[in-house]
Amino acid sequence: MAQSARSGKSPATRGVVAVLLIVTITGTLWVPIYARSTPKLGDFPFFYWYQLILVPAVAVLCWICYLLLRAKPGRHAGRPGARPPAGPHHGGGEHR
Amino acid sequence: MTHVNTVSFAILLVSFLVVTMIGFGAAKWRPAEDPMQLNEWGLGGRGFGTFVSWFLIGGDIYTAYTFIAVPALVYATGAAGFYALSYSIVVFPVVFIFAPKLWSVARARGYVTPGEFARGRHGSQGLGLAVTVTGILATMPYIALQLVGIESVLTVVGIGGDSASVLVRDLPLIIAFAVVSGYTYLAGLRAPAMMAFVKDILIYVTVIAAILYIPGKVGGWGHIFATASAHLTSVNPATGKPFGSLAVMPAGEWAYATLALGSALALFVYPHTITGVFAAKRRDVIRRNMALLPAYSLLLGLIALFGFMARAIPAVNAGVKAAGGNAQLSVPLMFARMFPSWFAGIADSTVVVGALVPAAIMSIAAANLFTRNIYKELVNPDATPAQEIRVARLASLIMKVGALGFALALNKTFSINLQLLGGIWILQTLPAIVISLYTRWFHRFALIAGWAAGMAYGTAEAYRTSGGGQAHFGASTAPVFGHLTYIGLVALVLNLAVTVVLTPVFRLVRLQDGYDGTKAADYSADPAAAPAPVIRAGVRVPPNGRVKGTTGGPFAPPSARHARHPGPPA
Repeated sequence: MAQSARSGKSPATRGVVAVLLIVTITGTLWVPIYARSTPKLGDFPFFYWYQLILVPAVAVLCWICYLLLRAKPGRHAGRPGARPPAGPHHGGGEHR
Repeated sequence: MTHVNTVSFAILLVSFLVVTMIGFGAAKWRPAEDPMQLNEWGLGGRGFGTFVSWFLIGGDIYTAYTFIAVPALVYATGAAGFYALSYSIVVFPVVFIFAPKLWSVARARGYVTPGEFARGRHGSQGLGLAVTVTGILATMPYIALQLVGIESVLTVVGIGGDSASVLVRDLPLIIAFAVVSGYTYLAGLRAPAMMAFVKDILIYVTVIAAILYIPGKVGGWGHIFATASAHLTSVNPATGKPFGSLAVMPAGEWAYATLALGSALALFVYPHTITGVFAAKRRDVIRRNMALLPAYSLLLGLIALFGFMARAIPAVNAGVKAAGGNAQLSVPLMFARMFPSWFAGIADSTVVVGALVPAAIMSIAAANLFTRNIYKELVNPDATPAQEIRVARLASLIMKVGALGFALALNKTFSINLQLLGGIWILQTLPAIVISLYTRWFHRFALIAGWAAGMAYGTAEAYRTSGGGQAHFGASTAPVFGHLTYIGLVALVLNLAVTVVLTPVFRLVRLQDGYDGTKAADYSADPAAAPAPVIRAGVRVPPNGRVKGTTGGPFAPPSARHARHPGPPA
């Protein structure tokens, strides 16, 4: 998952991004967390307001991930495809 | 419903004309230096920034059918229908992970379709074809369903529907589709990208107005949830069980989660979504959009709540019952009963424009697939860019006529069944597209075998489900080890299992593996603000030649990609 991060980012940054993304995904897909009607918010059962609030929460988390992974301005123009070609699962080198 | 609502219809007509003008005008928007490139027609020149991409991808994902079908599902079954919101929440973190890589490799190699990636990555024509055929098959009924969305609006406005003659009844639909075909033909992806602005303004206005205005008129949210709860807990005479529930029951949790995950993964591999992603100008545009697109999910959540709002309006319930229990009419009926005619017209326009935009993108995506993976691969490998565009334009027309034929000639249920199947099918291309972004370990023939197994299992399993008054294709979930699970996801697991088991077997028997036409550096390439790579016939770059990636990234022209590659030394 962290492999999608641009090269040049520290493992810590990638780790944080991975954790944030995993949190958003489990928060949505772990249905027992929110499959109930209480506590209510106004007239809205928990099931509905939890998911509606999750939307902006996920947006904020994705935005943080984007900021963490963003290429520094002025640098990406000079470094296209800067990933070292030695990635374990990349390229067809091992099959050639 | 013989009475035609003149005001609503007039507004509908005006919106349609405005959108048509925009569609045709789009051909002159950001004109390309060299317009005779498939890149230009089929991907809008790969030049869309954050703003346009947001509208384009949003216009792509949230279709008219979504706006009709999701509230219809909530109207009928309650909480279970809300998985659509869950899925549109989870899709963005998922796409955040995969999409930038796919965008980079497509940009670096000049791929226009996911089929080209599968073919290039695994050096397998068969795999490319499998991805292509699946993509086209899954897209067709999706386009047809956009028509179903338009139809339900027209029925409520009072147009068509009653006439005995098929031609008269469907004339508005035919005209609408002829016009869309016209501007798609001319302007390519630029047309829906521009129309998406209008579509979204309409959607936001309609949804916000409805959510602020209607609940107050029908007795507040407390009353809305109480009415919904009363209906959902009452017993359905057809099944002897309750209609649904207000919060997902423990027995339904697994189905809910697998549907959400499966649909999110499927959404990303649908050709029209990938087309929207490929059209982005920079890698960062995609990531930034994943943080911005959830604005649509919020909208989808509110739209899903329309289902409960409609349930609290007795006139809507009566209308749905009169139409033989067609819940698809609940939202258009709610607009007609609750809004003044002029605003109902705007709300109806939302659905119609919301159908035209994705229909255009889908037909372009399918046309790209056909052109690059069937025409160029099998019919005319030396096609010039001009020939490619000509074929793509024709293919987009044929797609639309086909979809229209689908919608008119076949039972509506058939389209819905096919769309359900389409989701299951398209998910089977995930290993060849998404997982292959990360690993080249899979053997090409193992991938094809896995795909075939997933397709066969998914189709058979979907055929066996009954529900909603149908003996076959009645539901998208089936029990697996005692848990209701989304069929598409089960088929994907089977698909992966077959691929993983067969890969070492094929290696052991020394079945020749394909040549990987991509380089590791392609997957993180980001040719910043440089223009898209331009395909020029006759320029030959050796397939293994590294082209310095400062502007367009390493890019093999079609002549090189179709050259016979040396296989791996035995």
